[in-house]
Amino acid sequence: MIRIENLSVHFGSAVAVHNVSLSVEGGESFGLVGESGSGKSTVLRTVMGLNRQWTGDIHIGDIDLRKARRRDLVRVAQMVFQDPYASLHPRYTIGQAIAEPMLINRMSDVDARTVELLEMIGLTAAHRFRFPHELSGGQRQRVAIARALSLSPEVLLLDEPTSALDVSVQAEILNLLNRLRRELNLTFVIVSHDLAVISYMCDRLMVMQNARAVETLTRAQLRAGDMQHDYTRTLFRASHRDRAGAGASAEAVRHG
Amino acid sequence: MTAINLTHAETRRQLRRARLGEFTKFARRFAGNPLGMIGLAILGVLLASAVFAPLLATHDPYLPDLVHRLSPPSFENWLGTDELGRDIFSRILYGARLTLLIVGLVVATSAPIGLIIGAVAGTSGGWVDAVFMRITDVFLAVPKLLLALAFVAALGPGIVNAALAITLTAWPPYARLARAEALIVRDSDYVNAVRLAGGSEFRIVLRHIMPMCLSSVIVRMTLDMAGIILTAAGLGFIGLGAQPPLPEWGAMISTGRKFIFDQWWVATMPGLAIFIVSLGFNLLGDAMRDLLDPHLRRRA
Amino acid sequence: MSQTLVTVENLRIAFAGEGGTMIEAVKGVSFEVGREKLGIVGESGSGKSLSSRALMGVLPEHARVSADVMSFAGIDLLSASPRVRRQLRGNRMGMILQDPKFSLNPVMRVGKQIAEAIRLGARSLPSAKVRQKVLEVLEAVHIRAPERVYDLYPHELSGGMGQRVMIAMMVVREPELLIADEPTSALDVTVQVQVLEIMDELVRRRGMGLVFISHDLNLVSRFCDRVLVMYAGRIVETLDARRMHEAVHPYTRGLLACLPAIDGPLTPLPTLARDASWGEARL
Repeated sequence: MIRIENLSVHFGSAVAVHNVSLSVEGGESFGLVGESGSGKSTVLRTVMGLNRQWTGDIHIGDIDLRKARRRDLVRVAQMVFQDPYASLHPRYTIGQAIAEPMLINRMSDVDARTVELLEMIGLTAAHRFRFPHELSGGQRQRVAIARALSLSPEVLLLDEPTSALDVSVQAEILNLLNRLRRELNLTFVIVSHDLAVISYMCDRLMVMQNARAVETLTRAQLRAGDMQHDYTRTLFRASHRDRAGAGASAEAVRHG
Repeated sequence: MTAINLTHAETRRQLRRARLGEFTKFARRFAGNPLGMIGLAILGVLLASAVFAPLLATHDPYLPDLVHRLSPPSFENWLGTDELGRDIFSRILYGARLTLLIVGLVVATSAPIGLIIGAVAGTSGGWVDAVFMRITDVFLAVPKLLLALAFVAALGPGIVNAALAITLTAWPPYARLARAEALIVRDSDYVNAVRLAGGSEFRIVLRHIMPMCLSSVIVRMTLDMAGIILTAAGLGFIGLGAQPPLPEWGAMISTGRKFIFDQWWVATMPGLAIFIVSLGFNLLGDAMRDLLDPHLRRRA
Repeated sequence: MSQTLVTVENLRIAFAGEGGTMIEAVKGVSFEVGREKLGIVGESGSGKSLSSRALMGVLPEHARVSADVMSFAGIDLLSASPRVRRQLRGNRMGMILQDPKFSLNPVMRVGKQIAEAIRLGARSLPSAKVRQKVLEVLEAVHIRAPERVYDLYPHELSGGMGQRVMIAMMVVREPELLIADEPTSALDVTVQVQVLEIMDELVRRRGMGLVFISHDLNLVSRFCDRVLVMYAGRIVETLDARRMHEAVHPYTRGLLACLPAIDGPLTPLPTLARDASWGEARL
């Protein structure tokens, strides 16, 4: 579904992504993990055409990103941004925000489809006439997801979709994303700094550090701690210890 | 699923209601600002006197009455009469029309010009930005009144020409302002989302970036209105704005200048009118800034 | 909990809402802090940051604060003059915020800022001694090249480095109480661990009291001695950090359960079913 070969991105003299290659199968959920500045978000933005200066090859489905027109790309891949407080236009109602991509692409039945999308992501038709500032962070992120789905893309790129949200809301959004992926047969690429989120959401993942790919693991390998590089191991340990209390407590909840 | 059967008209009606709700909230917050309300009241009086001038005026503003020339304020002529015996109160009422006309003309032309140039320059960047902003700089480099003077001198005196001349000097600050806002907004995620949906740059500027520039421009506009009135009065004063016998306030002060020591009211009354109206616009502008300015709001 | 440093009883914080009504953001919170690591956990809007800011006396002007008792080391904070509060803030209480960018002066070299913090406490110290002390404290927060960092401007620091500088600035005054508001949530996991270790060391070595505010229950339970769980302006549960699994309140349990784990099951995550009664006063 997605094939990236030898992708490099430079901002001036700074290297943001260096020689990264990856491929994602249709229907798969792929994770990009790394710390801030590792270039994981840049990969996503480049795939969506938000960066102009890049070298290498990017194919999404049978679209070659070098030759593709925007209009073709937008029906195949869409993106959800990290900060739901910054990704919705403050002067547009929720309904308008979701309808805008459909209006741009001259689709019909926009009103009905907007309501359908709102119900799909767990809001109601009444939310159509609310403004973003009247919604909570989790609700806004749901709206951003609905907007990304409005053009019925096959691929959804998610840039830290839950890191700006409270943990209790994070669970709701992750569940929603998993349900949507199953129901709509979507392909996901998820960027996150949180190994636990990636392990929960993704079939395979790639670890990035300092603009380079460190290694690619399957979920089973990640869970077993079966990794080649020290950096991945450090990340793994830091995250694992972080969740040390969780396993026991989750256990208690399930039994209690 | 009744909602899906909503007609398009119903959607529009609901949307309007949502917008109205936002506006009501804004109005309620505005009402909590006493100074702003005073400003609004002053403007209301100005508007009323312009609209109802024929009903409110006690005399014909153009009819000379040489018997009563230069009479002081009295029961007959509330604010006195001028050198041709015309009632100053009535002339000020009719003058409100001219003032509003000039302010309206200037604002309706300069703000959109500035907004479009600034938003386009800020969004596109590169050479478009460079060219537009250098043009703006050229206009900003010439003293305002001097530029207006030169234009009126070239076009000939008159109210519309005066308004045009002021417009020419008034748009660059709006362009600067709109550009600054556009620079912040153009790389935001909600604008990126429109790009990702395949929206053209034209649509992005028009529908997504301009609305964000609007609030700073409106604030600046309200604050500028006082300045526009003063400039218009200045042009009238030196004889390049409204021509006699039009009761333009600046021109009225100009004629009253000759009698300032003996018949003080001839120049003072229109002067007071200018002062009060400018104050009203400034109070309103300050209140608007407190509510609308995105930078102040972010800090709060 | 050897000795009590802070006592707060029935703290309430309210803001004027639209139309003159008062909206209570913190509704009667009581807690004590000893020379320990106290964690306060809650989601955004639960009142955890407001409560600690009330303690510091750095709430916005329009906030209405009331409490039955609010004292620090025997000083009644409710009746203390602004001058006394300011001195307390400078010397005996410190605060670390989430983003060091907002707390450091952007046009002053890092070393100078720390030096100034030292001078506030000890005016007569010769400048060579001050510099020596700055370098020591930078080393204490595990900055590898203190000489180099001394001459950097805040924007030249990475996130983790900036946060360590903030901690350095706070601890040079050797406060008895340090309030850390989400000090590590902007940091990468590997850096997070280091910053926590530094704070832990300071608490153990200097016998400081630490209030650690976070939305991350697991992080807090691992790091702190005691944990307060806040929800909608109230404390719903106080727990011993080692006995998190004994939590009884459904909110706490929900928080614990809703986090994905690296080796957790792939079934849908349990979500919080919020109950209106959680927000009501407990009888």
